[in-house]
Amino acid sequence: MGGAPAGLEARSLVKRFGATTAVDGIDIAVRPGEFFTVLGPSGCGKTTFLRLVAGILAPDGGSIRIGAADLTQAPIWARNIGLVFQNYALFPHMTVAQNVGFGLAMRRVPRADRGPRIARALETVRLDGYGGRRPSELSGGQQQRVALARAIVIEPDLLLLDEPLSNLDARLREDMRSELADLKHRLGITTILVTHDIHEAFSLSDRVAVMRAGRVEQVGAPTELYELPANRFVAGFLGPVNEWTGRVGAIADGTAEVEFAGLRSCRVPALAGWRGGDEATVILRPERLGLTAASAAGEGAVVGRIDQVAHLGNLVNYRVAAGGRALLAQAPAGRTGRFALGDRVAVAWDDADLAPVAP
Amino acid sequence: MRRLLTLFNLLMVAYVVAPIVLVVWMSFTPTMLFEVPIRSFSLRWYEELFSYDAFIDSAWLSLRLGLISALAATALGFLAAYGLVRGRPPGAGALLGLFTAPLIVPAVVYGIAMLQFTNLVGLYGAFPALVAAHVVIVLPFAVRTLLASLEGQGPELEWAAMSLGARRRHAVLLVTLPLCLRGMVSAFLFCFLISFSEVTVTLFMAGPAHQTLPVRIFNYVSDRIDPTMAAVSALVVLVSVALVLVLNRLGALAAVRK
Amino acid sequence: MISGAAGRSALGIRLGGSVWLFLGPALLLMLAAYLAPLFDTTIVSLHPNRPTGIDRDSWTIANYLRLLDTYYGEVLLRTLRVSLLITLFSVLLAYPVGVWLAGLGPRGQAWAILVYMSPWFVNAVVKSFGWTLILGNRGLVNRGLQSLGLIDSPLRLMLNETGIVIGLLPGHFLFVLLPLWAALKGLDGNLRWAAMTLGARPWQVFLRVTVPLTLPALLAGAIINFTMNMAAFAAPALLGGTRTRVLSFIAYQVNLEELNWPFGGALAVAMLVVTLGFVMVAQGLTRGGLGGGRR
Repeated sequence: MGGAPAGLEARSLVKRFGATTAVDGIDIAVRPGEFFTVLGPSGCGKTTFLRLVAGILAPDGGSIRIGAADLTQAPIWARNIGLVFQNYALFPHMTVAQNVGFGLAMRRVPRADRGPRIARALETVRLDGYGGRRPSELSGGQQQRVALARAIVIEPDLLLLDEPLSNLDARLREDMRSELADLKHRLGITTILVTHDIHEAFSLSDRVAVMRAGRVEQVGAPTELYELPANRFVAGFLGPVNEWTGRVGAIADGTAEVEFAGLRSCRVPALAGWRGGDEATVILRPERLGLTAASAAGEGAVVGRIDQVAHLGNLVNYRVAAGGRALLAQAPAGRTGRFALGDRVAVAWDDADLAPVAP
Repeated sequence: MRRLLTLFNLLMVAYVVAPIVLVVWMSFTPTMLFEVPIRSFSLRWYEELFSYDAFIDSAWLSLRLGLISALAATALGFLAAYGLVRGRPPGAGALLGLFTAPLIVPAVVYGIAMLQFTNLVGLYGAFPALVAAHVVIVLPFAVRTLLASLEGQGPELEWAAMSLGARRRHAVLLVTLPLCLRGMVSAFLFCFLISFSEVTVTLFMAGPAHQTLPVRIFNYVSDRIDPTMAAVSALVVLVSVALVLVLNRLGALAAVRK
Repeated sequence: MISGAAGRSALGIRLGGSVWLFLGPALLLMLAAYLAPLFDTTIVSLHPNRPTGIDRDSWTIANYLRLLDTYYGEVLLRTLRVSLLITLFSVLLAYPVGVWLAGLGPRGQAWAILVYMSPWFVNAVVKSFGWTLILGNRGLVNRGLQSLGLIDSPLRLMLNETGIVIGLLPGHFLFVLLPLWAALKGLDGNLRWAAMTLGARPWQVFLRVTVPLTLPALLAGAIINFTMNMAAFAAPALLGGTRTRVLSFIAYQVNLEELNWPFGGALAVAMLVVTLGFVMVAQGLTRGGLGGGRR
């Protein structure tokens, strides 16, 4: 729609509320045209971050640049951002068209030009013909799309989405997600999504920042975060993991031999700072654990007994008691290779799937 | 058990509304004496009422006073409620306490204070002083009603408006105010009702030149009783009940319930 | 929203310093037309009253000591007695009304509560006038009883304390009823069944479960009701007559007939302090903001 997309650069942002520090020195750089997600549990400061960027809150420290302009001190109405709220925040006393046209009116766009732009925006969110309705006459998903149209019609430099899908039911959320993914390609607006939903973050984003307690724990592409989490928090937040702590043996060429009680010793890329005799933690995703019948145990496999089974439809989660540990494994729910509670199984993995994590 | 309770409540309701109903009933008696039960219907006292200039004057005064003070209180109340809700200034609780203090401080106390103070500053019996007192008296109702209205609305709509380029004044004028319309109407009517019913403070401070309808009735009833009084009173009741019904429909009576 | 000071600048959404632009008008009004008069009256009450007027040069607490005179003591006792009686009757009447209300459907409740609230909204003078039509010597009650041959001479139902109690109760009833009603509605309905499965009869449930759980709200309401009764002016003035005077009527006479403002001011300050004291106790009972009413 607009000109060349702008990037966002937030530098050592700080926001305190009384004695608590909600945002504690955040550095985030969003590239022009990028779909960037801030992901974290509730209370991690992600919404505060979004409000700082939007200009709803004033930072206690740090700076915000959008494109070339330093907007740290700019009021919210001068930032040219599109903001989509969790509860949509549509003006209930205005029609859909008036809602979408509000930003244009504030920008003193001539009346004659507003109509076509409103129509185009509504078309973009597939709501053509709904201009005369009131927000209260629309479904949750439609209201969501009006909010989106209202935000993009002003051709913002930056689109901010605050948990936009959390008020929708599961089916609708899936639809809206794929619609957002579509829009992202068509519009090319630099977008920041704030969410606690991993699926939402991973399916939409070019890059994701994981936040905890006011700080950014890790920034990276979704696969990068999943495969190589920086620490145990990120690893655990992105899904269930097997987390093993063992003792470092010999280190050679950046690869460490780590001894795990009850399991076999594994070769793991050494983290900087690991020394022989140190404690080391590695993680392994459940879907990377292979289960076979105990009788067919290969070399290096650990034999154990299945003590919990949970069917998830297309997947099955197993918990295996082996080597004095509880190992989590996940397998596709095929017709073959199923196991039952109490079955003796062999657990195998490839050392290449192990990721070392900082504590 | 339930029947007994219902019977009790019917008696109780009869008791609490008896004087109100009776005043209206009596206003339609044709004779000089109060007849119980009423034998025939007459509008005689209403005709007589309209030849009493003093009552007409009082009615005008009450109306003027009510409209002006309700208007002023609604405006001040909106600003104050907006400041309290969106600004959260230090000491917000104490400020709210101050604005709603006239609910708790006895009217007699405020009446005495205003009598003495208006004399001190040379405004005794002045209409502006009376207006100021009435605005103070009705302000709690405006503040409470509009506070509820603004709190129910939440700040997100204003944020949305401002993110779309609206300055605060535009956001307030185009979004907040239209959505508070119901609250504004409620506050206005509520304030008018309270001002219209106010006796005590007015009696203490207004002086002989400004006798509102209730004050006029008070002074008159102390001397003698005649059905003309019933006609005036019935009109006052009518206005009050009508306002209460409208306010109830607007859901505004909760401001007292808190 | 979030508490705490605004950021470094007057930026964005927080009102910051401009909050005082919004609060200013109401604040100015309250300072000039509320706090200033109350302050002035407090000062006046500490000056002696001379035939020439208020002596603003000397200070005294004699006006307050005069409140302890037998005459005023008697008036105070009467005011207390009448107010307490009204509160007591209100509390006793509130349970049957509250329980009945809580058993109605939502629409029924809304209408019934409106009816019980309505006396408060109607001008006290008009209501008192209505009561004179009912309670007077030639009023509804006396003439009814006489025509039935039950009494020879009319009963004295007004121009005494009885009249004040009867006339004031309905208008202030809502201050007891509304908190009780809210508390009754807030009761977990399962408590009733729980108590019954444990063998309690309905009346036992009422006494052992309902009353203890709703008593704090009722008490808070009773205190507000009491302060309202203490301060009421128009109804006691019209229904009590010249002989049955209450505190507020004395305050009227002292200020507007005797024109003794220092003493009248002392009366006002005393009423203010006592009322605020009671209200604080009531607010301590229910951590909510129980507002009062006026009149």
